[in-house]
Amino acid sequence: MPRGLDLLAVDDLQVGYGKIQVLWGVSLRLAAGETVAVVGSNGAGKTTLLRSIAGLLPPVAGRVVFRDRVLGRLPAHEIARRGLALVPEGRELFPWMSVHENLLLGGRLCAERLRVAENLEWVYGLFPVLRERRRQSASTLSGGEQQMLAIARALMSNPSVLMLDEPSTGLSPRVVESIFEVIAGLAQRGATILLVEQNVYLALAVADRAYVLERGRLTLEGTGQELIEHAAVRQAYLGVAEG
Amino acid sequence: MGLDAASLLQVLVWGLVVGSIYVLLATGLTLIFGVMKLVNFAHGELMMWGAFLTILIAQSTGVNPYVAMIGSTAAVGLLGVAIERLGFRPLRGTAKINEIFLSIALILVLQNALARFFVPYFRENAQIRTPYATEYFSLGLVNLRYDFVILLAVAWAITFGLWFVLFHTAPGRDVRATSQNRAAALLMGIDVRRIDMLCFGIGSALAALAGSLYGVVNPFSPYAGTIPAIKAFAVIILGGLGSVPGAVLGGLLYGVVESFGTFFLGGSWRDAIAFVLLIVVLMVRPQGIFREGA
Ligand SMILES: Nc1ncnc2c1ncn2[C@@H]1O[C@H](COP(=O)(O)OP(=O)(O)OP(=O)(O)O)[C@@H](O)[C@H]1O
Ligand SMILES: [Mg+2]
Repeated sequence: MPRGLDLLAVDDLQVGYGKIQVLWGVSLRLAAGETVAVVGSNGAGKTTLLRSIAGLLPPVAGRVVFRDRVLGRLPAHEIARRGLALVPEGRELFPWMSVHENLLLGGRLCAERLRVAENLEWVYGLFPVLRERRRQSASTLSGGEQQMLAIARALMSNPSVLMLDEPSTGLSPRVVESIFEVIAGLAQRGATILLVEQNVYLALAVADRAYVLERGRLTLEGTGQELIEHAAVRQAYLGVAEG
Repeated sequence: MGLDAASLLQVLVWGLVVGSIYVLLATGLTLIFGVMKLVNFAHGELMMWGAFLTILIAQSTGVNPYVAMIGSTAAVGLLGVAIERLGFRPLRGTAKINEIFLSIALILVLQNALARFFVPYFRENAQIRTPYATEYFSLGLVNLRYDFVILLAVAWAITFGLWFVLFHTAPGRDVRATSQNRAAALLMGIDVRRIDMLCFGIGSALAALAGSLYGVVNPFSPYAGTIPAIKAFAVIILGGLGSVPGAVLGGLLYGVVESFGTFFLGGSWRDAIAFVLLIVVLMVRPQGIFREGA
């Protein structure tokens, strides 16, 4: 496969917390317009992977190449400025600010004011409930609304790559469905998305390709359909996800 | 003193004056705590550096002390920036105790540096003398010192200015974001280390201004910052750690309570009031009056 179009390339990434190593040489690629999922069970290292790509955790070894530039030990705010956005695990909103202010912070990297106004309209269109709640402080939102706000906030900067860390966690099936509708819509319109999920069915439904992460190593790769059919995935994860 | 309306009003005015000084001190402290989750125990020493530099500038150039305060406030602000950049920043991510040791070391260094230059000139105490020291407004029941009026105007102009920047401008939003969620602030593209440096500088400058105004209404020595700083710690715990509105309200309340407490109970109680108030509030409302980080 020609790889010249890769927006994001992770090469042999090793990351740990102090002496505890968590990722043992992870390599993955993300081409422009592609939606790729990383699935794996609790503690596999999915969050560690995304936080490391975003610059919140310095790698021990390996490298991340984003838009043909090695990110190296670039601080996280510089990585964000280059167009890589993370919707973090646990949402990480600004709890005592209004929905509107959270979104303005998401849009602070936009060069023009007009763009911020346009993007506000866009994300309020994607998640109409946020418009109703725009004056409400983020801490008073329901879990689902908080997840929507976290996604909307990341979209405000028009990132070239959107990374999502388990957007379905702790939410009712109905809310999950509406959030994944939005994600699928973004994917169809050509957004480049790296999605981490424990819920394999959900992830594979929207992803063009997926990787399976097991105890810090990528063990399988394939298209969504291939992985769904793969017996190993069935046994290891789908059973868990259904239970 | 009798319990007449005139003296009660006088007590209230004094409470507002000292309260405004506590507001400036506590606001600086809470701003630094908010973004860095760090308590600078040397805040009171930065305060006295402000007072000392104001006197130095005023006496050596002959300018009005209120003008000299601009210079001393800016200078201590820059000192704060240097302290953050060279002192606290390298310690980030290491054990919290290192920051505590550094700020205690700063108390000693800043205090003794001041004593070294200060004491030969002023012996024990100095006071910032303004051209209006003996001028009063007569407001019927009370006479209001010109200096009190200027002090209140300066303190509240700065407080409202800061409040406006924090709550109504984009840079202020970046500061609040850093205070509420540092990792998320990074993800928004905020250079949080610059925010640290900025806030430490502004917090230090506010301490210097508080010290300069304190020096107009009180005699001071290099060691005079310790007690007001302890009270400012009490105030930010009262107001909710990291909350600027809490520090403003708490500081004002504290000044008034202290003034009335001293009036009714006697001067020896003055410094104990902080701790009594602190204990009471912590028992009733352990999270402080306001929530953290607002
Ligand atoms: N701050 C930390 N300090 C030490 N170890 C950590 C830290 N965060 C995560 N770990 C460890 O790293 C491993 C991977 O954690 P990580 O959060 O990346 O997993 P995950 O795949 O995201 O799991 P989950 O599905 O539960 O979110 C786990 O064993 C975890 O205990
Ligand atoms: Mg995780």
